[in-house]
Amino acid sequence: MAWNEPGGGNNKPKDPWGGGEQGPPDLDEALKKLQQKLGGLFGGRGSGGGKPGRGRGGIPAGLVLVLALVAVVVWALMGLYQVDQQERAVVLRFGKYQQTVMPGLQWNPPLIDEVIKVNTTRVRAATFREIMLTQDENIVEVRMSVQYVIDDPTSFVLRVRDPESSLHNASQSALRHVVGDTSMNMVLTEGRARIGVEVTERLQRYINMYETGIRVVKVNIDESKPPTQVQAAFDDVIKAREDEERLKNEAQAYANGIVPESRGRAQRVIEEASAYREQVVAEAEGEAERFSRLLKEYAKSPEVTRERLYLDAVQRVFSNTNKVMVDVEGGNNIMYLPLDKMVEKSGSSMPASRGSRLDTSSIRDLTNAVTEQLRLDAAAANSRRGGR
Amino acid sequence: MGGRGMTWMLVAVLALFVLSNAIYVIKETERGVLLRFGEVVDPDLKPGLHIKIPFVNNVRKFEGRLLTVDFTAERFFTQEQKALIVDSYAKFRVANTEKFYTATNGEEARAIALLGQRINDGLRNEVAVRTIQEVVSGQRDELMSSLTESLSELALNEYGVEVVDVRVKQIDLPPDVSESVYQRMNAEREKEAREHRSLGQELAEGIRAAADREVTVIEANAYRDAELIRGEGDAQATAIYAGAFNRDREFYSFTRSLRAYQDSFQGSGDIMLLAPDSKFFRYLKDSSGGN
Repeated sequence: MAWNEPGGGNNKPKDPWGGGEQGPPDLDEALKKLQQKLGGLFGGRGSGGGKPGRGRGGIPAGLVLVLALVAVVVWALMGLYQVDQQERAVVLRFGKYQQTVMPGLQWNPPLIDEVIKVNTTRVRAATFREIMLTQDENIVEVRMSVQYVIDDPTSFVLRVRDPESSLHNASQSALRHVVGDTSMNMVLTEGRARIGVEVTERLQRYINMYETGIRVVKVNIDESKPPTQVQAAFDDVIKAREDEERLKNEAQAYANGIVPESRGRAQRVIEEASAYREQVVAEAEGEAERFSRLLKEYAKSPEVTRERLYLDAVQRVFSNTNKVMVDVEGGNNIMYLPLDKMVEKSGSSMPASRGSRLDTSSIRDLTNAVTEQLRLDAAAANSRRGGR
Repeated sequence: MGGRGMTWMLVAVLALFVLSNAIYVIKETERGVLLRFGEVVDPDLKPGLHIKIPFVNNVRKFEGRLLTVDFTAERFFTQEQKALIVDSYAKFRVANTEKFYTATNGEEARAIALLGQRINDGLRNEVAVRTIQEVVSGQRDELMSSLTESLSELALNEYGVEVVDVRVKQIDLPPDVSESVYQRMNAEREKEAREHRSLGQELAEGIRAAADREVTVIEANAYRDAELIRGEGDAQATAIYAGAFNRDREFYSFTRSLRAYQDSFQGSGDIMLLAPDSKFFRYLKDSSGGN
């Protein structure tokens, strides 16, 4: 009854079952009494140092001693454990927090101490996929992953029941809080990084308040998208943006096509005009020069030149055309000219004009007929005049 | 010796039983109260190994860690009588073991139920004085801190628990309202898409029209320049002609006319009706030239 006081003692742990050399005297006494009683009961020696009892039959004292030693060794060996580099071990003695143990080979008295190992370096991750309201009362779907480590194993083990579900709750709350403070467009586009930062900060604040011993390493907004019910409409907006670009590009292509073409045409028009200018000037110069030279020669002998020029020109004209000679002076001869026929054949009201469409053979026939007629007329006229 | 041994054995067993009844452990994660015949004598037992008087003293242990009240999502009404689905949780821990023991008989489930009712009530009141907008975005922190504040004293006094935090997890619209939100979102997207397409068309039309205008201007300018150049040519040519032909107008008329005759009668289909007494036929009828 008295030895519970040292049992509750603090830093230097004493094994209340062992022979406490520092223990209060009444504890010693009590133990001795107990050992005496036990010794009496079993008729052998107790495990501790006491008065030697006489083995009266029953189990031999030596065997008891060996068994006790084996028991102690086994018990002691059970207390050995190793803590990995990744781990820390929280040690409770009779349920009271004793210490947090670093990596290495460790020993704690079994059954008295409880050792809880916690991995403090492994980065754990939790992923959430939530549909939530944004500030502007739109609905978005956000996938978030939280990476965390257990920073303070003591708190993790002792302060909160189910710290990881606390983290879960806090994460949801923080995420929804931040998204609820952000407009949909920001959530869906450039706001994601900022949301991650804000959620981290907020989440850490919450779980610090709960003393979970968890440290948030990173919060990632993996994905933020409109819910499936409106996904198609959102996609259509993207398509519409593309369409807008496409229409612009097509128009630009059109413009890029026709403007240079028209510049080309303009160039051609101007070139043609320039060509015309060169042409008319050159022709004018040529003609003027030709005329000047002709004039010079004409001045020397005008009459002859004039006559010659005239005859040359008229000859050229007559050699090309069909001719009908009408001797008006011999008016008493009946001359038959099938002009109406010519008109009919040509289908034109101006048979004698340029471009009439009489075909060659009919013209030839006609010409022959006319020529024959003229010759006959001429012969008749000659004979009538009596050789002039 | 058999009877004596038996007696000792019984004594030992009895002693062990009493001893085991006298020892108890409070874990670091626990809180405990020591009772003497049902009366609390030590309300705050420290963690570790303790001893008590068997049968006289009694120990009640409670969870000492931070606990969670996780509510199911419920329909709340905001100031404007709109429904919201609100899901929340609260964190609390036993602070006053004596009070906790008397209020809940040390049963965690009962504490959670009692606290849950309180929080639910409080939350309902907090939501009811705010608009959706305020609940969703602006005032979550205020909502929760004011709720925590108003609850903590009461919880401590009545249930012996410390409310560490009350948080709203989920604030959502009810499914039927969500449906109309989706419709609205769809409509907004449609509007946006249409705007993009029309804007595209507008810009495209603008680009095309500008190009067409440019073409027209280019070609008109080209026409003007071309006419100018032609005029210039004509003027120059005219000047040249005039310069030459002015030297003998009569002779120019003559030669020019001759050329015109030649050019005019070139087709083989042309027919000339001629009177034989023209100057050209002077010698046709008479080798001496007629008159």
